[in-house]
Amino acid sequence: MRRFFVILKKELKEMVTWQTLVPILLIMVIYSFLGRTINQEQKKQAAPQPITVVDLDRSQTSEMLSSILTKANFKVTTVTEGTIDDIVRRVVSEKGSAVLVIPQGFETGIQAQRPQKVQTYTIMRNFSMMGIQGTFRMDAALSAMNEYIGDMYITSRAPELDPAIVRHAVTSQSFITVGTTSAEGDPQEIVGLVMQQTMIIPIVLFLVIIMAAQMIAASIASEKENKTLETLLSTPVARGALVTAKMMASGIVALVSAAAYMVGMKSYMGSLIGSSTGASATAVQAIQKLGLVLDLRGYILLGLSVFAGIMVALSIAVILGAFAEDLKSVQILIMPLMMVVLLPYLITMFIDINTASPVLKWLIYAIPFSHPFLAAQFIFAHNFTMVIGGIIYEFALFFVLAAVAARIFSTDRILTMKLNTARRGSSLGGWTLQREGISFRIRRKQG
Amino acid sequence: MEQALIVENLKKSYGKFEALHGISFEVAPGEIFALIGPNGAGKTTALRIVATILQPTSGTAHVYGMDVQKDAARIREVISYLPEEAGAYKNLTGLGYLSFMAELFASDVAVQREYVQRASDITGLGERLRDRIGTYSKGMTRKLLLSRAVMTHPKLAIIDEPTSGLDVVAAIDIRESIRRTTAEGMAVLLSSHNMLEIEYLSDRVAIIDKGTIHDVGTPQGLKDKYGKANLEEVFVQVVRQ
Repeated sequence: MRRFFVILKKELKEMVTWQTLVPILLIMVIYSFLGRTINQEQKKQAAPQPITVVDLDRSQTSEMLSSILTKANFKVTTVTEGTIDDIVRRVVSEKGSAVLVIPQGFETGIQAQRPQKVQTYTIMRNFSMMGIQGTFRMDAALSAMNEYIGDMYITSRAPELDPAIVRHAVTSQSFITVGTTSAEGDPQEIVGLVMQQTMIIPIVLFLVIIMAAQMIAASIASEKENKTLETLLSTPVARGALVTAKMMASGIVALVSAAAYMVGMKSYMGSLIGSSTGASATAVQAIQKLGLVLDLRGYILLGLSVFAGIMVALSIAVILGAFAEDLKSVQILIMPLMMVVLLPYLITMFIDINTASPVLKWLIYAIPFSHPFLAAQFIFAHNFTMVIGGIIYEFALFFVLAAVAARIFSTDRILTMKLNTARRGSSLGGWTLQREGISFRIRRKQG
Repeated sequence: MEQALIVENLKKSYGKFEALHGISFEVAPGEIFALIGPNGAGKTTALRIVATILQPTSGTAHVYGMDVQKDAARIREVISYLPEEAGAYKNLTGLGYLSFMAELFASDVAVQREYVQRASDITGLGERLRDRIGTYSKGMTRKLLLSRAVMTHPKLAIIDEPTSGLDVVAAIDIRESIRRTTAEGMAVLLSSHNMLEIEYLSDRVAIIDKGTIHDVGTPQGLKDKYGKANLEEVFVQVVRQ
């Protein structure tokens, strides 16, 4: 056990270097900076946007429309004189964002029940996501104007009718049912709230798995390249302890790195979903009633599933690392693992596992990394059998893979098995893997 | 007296390729025994089997009576192995590396310190031991690794190409270090394709080529037997026969 900790300490020292720390810190800072910038931009967007209303009609209706724009979060400046071109030029020079022109005869036309046309000028200064948001708000302003005029028609023709009844004769009271429990709430809002609780998990998992796998495979490859592995294998350290110490060190460093990433990512993601975080009291009550909040049991199950997924990835990476001859080949070897992790992440994001075809469903279940991605969904759906089944499957696979990894380290395969990225001529006890134009050659090294 | 190493009819195959065709030799305690032969002769394979990191296809090797396959863990307690062109952890300092390796062998902190002190004395690197290994020259790294290999007082040191790629001065330093440390009774099994070096360093040599040992004897005995001035000429004649 003492020797295990000696190796673990050495592995951590080897892995935690400025070369590994600087990119992590840099990404953390960049994400935090991005998050803050986006947040500030959103606050700017949330503030009333200036709009210049060119009221050429100067009527009661046109004045009313201006007040509707104020309600739609515009800061209205009304202009009643001048040519449109001059006004638009002036607004551009004064850094305004929109101009609305209400033509002469607008009120008369409305009263005669003839469709009227207003002109809108949206001043574009940049074409970023934030920059074009103002155009969408202009649509909302026009809808509000139409609703007001529609109400006006209804009231004038049928004073006894409530315009709200005409427009919305049928309304709904929405309930969401999970299992046998129902609660009142907007399904979209509920789904949004549930997703917010777990949306960070796949990103963390993906980062941890890829980082840990790369670290351990690189650690083994580097030991092989520098021939320090041969020295280690001839010392009294048990081979199992050697493998476990490497796995644990990679896991620790990957988890710490992921935590650091998350600090930055939280700020970034928070800014992206910032506008939708203001959940209604009904929705909050509904998710609590429906059990759609992760409780201690949920967190334990989710944690176990994620942990088991990481262990599976680490054991696969040990096996892949055993094939690596140098650090360059590690990248090529880890790529298929990245694909295997990415696949369930994407599939579970776009496909409903419950309605997927049996073949696809079992294919997804067969990939061990699907289970941590699916665990949260199953926990919220109270399908604990699937969660526990997934965890058992992940651990079973880990033990098999860890046994294979330990076997590789306890035999001379750790030194003799190699993967070359270049094809060689004759083979002596070797074989070649070919797939999609990439040729790998695995051979036994000759002494 | 019990032999430090007994190798009997040792064979090793990599797939269809047989690297060792059944070699046999013995090493006595305190003896420096060398396998000499060209690259690809099977020297490294033989050394790796004795160091318990490769398994033989057939035949046996016993280190102080312990079988390399059945008693590998016990053997690792009493041997040390220095691979050819081995590196060290470049982020560690020389002292950090010695301390790490000493901790793997030592039973307690006092023994660990004693090992590190012994290795520091042997290296002759002085204050440079406090620098990162990444800044060392090839000769300095080799001296560090050699001192690591002998600091634990192994009963059998296995050294592959001790001076490969080193300049003359560094090579002489390494040879003298090996000579000095065997005075305490440590047996050494080494390999080299530098036959003049072996002639200076070894008590006995085995001439190996294409996985077969052709002859074993003292450097002087072999030279006398074949009537040659040095081991290189002996080697050429033995291989041609």
